[in-house]
Amino acid sequence: MHGTTTSIGLRRLLQGMSGIALVLALLALWEASARLGWVESRNWPPFTQVLLALWDGLRSGELLRLVASTVGFMLVGYAAGSAAGIALGLLLGLSPLAQRFASPLVETLRPIPIAAVVPPLILFLGVGDALKIFTVAFSTFFPVLLNTIAGVRDGSEVLRQTARTLRLSRAATLRKIVLPGALPAIFAGLRTSLGIALVVVIVAEMVAGASGVGHFIVQSQYAMQPAPMYAAVACLSLVGYALNRLVLVLERSALPWHGAS
Amino acid sequence: MSRRTAMARWLPGAASVLLVLAAWEAAVRAGAVNPALLPAPSVVLSTLGGVLRAGEVFGPLRQTLQLMAAGYAIACVLGIALGIVMGRSEAGYRLFEPLVELVRPIPKPALIPPLFLFLGIGVKTMLFIVVLAAFFPVLINTVQGVRGIDPVLLNTARTFRLGRAAVVFKVVLPAALPMIAIGMRVSLAIALTLVIVAEMLAGENGVGFLILDMQRAFRIQHMYAWLVVLAAVGVALNAAFEWVERRLLPWRGRQ
Repeated sequence: MHGTTTSIGLRRLLQGMSGIALVLALLALWEASARLGWVESRNWPPFTQVLLALWDGLRSGELLRLVASTVGFMLVGYAAGSAAGIALGLLLGLSPLAQRFASPLVETLRPIPIAAVVPPLILFLGVGDALKIFTVAFSTFFPVLLNTIAGVRDGSEVLRQTARTLRLSRAATLRKIVLPGALPAIFAGLRTSLGIALVVVIVAEMVAGASGVGHFIVQSQYAMQPAPMYAAVACLSLVGYALNRLVLVLERSALPWHGAS
Repeated sequence: MSRRTAMARWLPGAASVLLVLAAWEAAVRAGAVNPALLPAPSVVLSTLGGVLRAGEVFGPLRQTLQLMAAGYAIACVLGIALGIVMGRSEAGYRLFEPLVELVRPIPKPALIPPLFLFLGIGVKTMLFIVVLAAFFPVLINTVQGVRGIDPVLLNTARTFRLGRAAVVFKVVLPAALPMIAIGMRVSLAIALTLVIVAEMLAGENGVGFLILDMQRAFRIQHMYAWLVVLAAVGVALNAAFEWVERRLLPWRGRQ
């Protein structure tokens, strides 16, 4: 009996290690392929060299400064787009007539790939900060809007009628009934949008080609400097991971009753 | 009656689109907007008509759509296959989960320049990027869908002694399909976006390249005309997806 539990525990442990082993094996393969010249490319740096470049970039503060500025613009655009999405979503969710007016407009604009919107926006906003903020706001707006509308629509009719019975004012109903009911859906939209926001700010920087991490990555490609480029990509992945974690934590603290699911 | 209610549903939306177009046209004609930056919709439409009549639209559009379709199809097949492995087998899940969690948060457009540098600028590299980006939403949703299957279904399949393949195709896939469809829908938009970005950065061909190129050449009317083409593609893809979804998942509409 005791023997079986140990062997099951050992098997669990081995299974748990297998994933990390796979990652390590791939990294070792990367290192070996670059060091031993298995890859026919002058631009295939070994993994350790990328780590060194990452370390150098972080220590000199250059990479950190670039990433911080990009993420900063992203957050401003994200906040603006989300706020607009929630506000308009509450309005459209509560008024079917308004929604019928607005939804064809939304459905025409929404399917346009965001990258294609950047060139015309450059004409109006230039290639700098305003472009980044607006592009992020534009692309985060739609998921938040649609989720808010759905959240309001799916809100309990009974609760709303109870509020009417208790003669709650419109503002109070909105704040105490409609908004909490729609919050889980809104948060789902916010989380989707955050991932989109990071991608979009990088795309905007790449296409505009003036500043930020996206621009730095493209420039490194032209300059044939793979190590700092991969370091920048690694940095962005960390940011992406951290942002996703952050929203999950925020979600849990804002929706304690929803944590069970 | 039903026709009238359909009209009543449809009319305000059409009216709002027309209203916006009319306001745009009026703003340009009144000189409130610089037509060099934002030409009137009538001008954009006539430019679009010219592009369509000349047949210039088909080459770039085919290039873009082919790349997208190929990448999307490969991503869906791979995502569903690995998703079933990870969803059905605990060992498979533990093997691949750390790798997936490592690659997934990478903003995929940021990988385009490194991959261009490493693999060279070309269709193969662009295809790889589209597959990589469209793969993860399908994978994640498939894993969730497969793991969420009612155990009674699986036990019933075991009672009937269904083989492994039969269980996957007759029980697991149909039951997980609604979740998989959600992931596939997200991936569809991602695939189109990534193709456009890749075309812009590669600077060779396709609708994405043309939009950026027209802007740089200051042929603004043509840029907007191509933007309309792309928007139409987006709407059409969405509509096609919904049509297929209704066909394949008729039980979902009733929810």
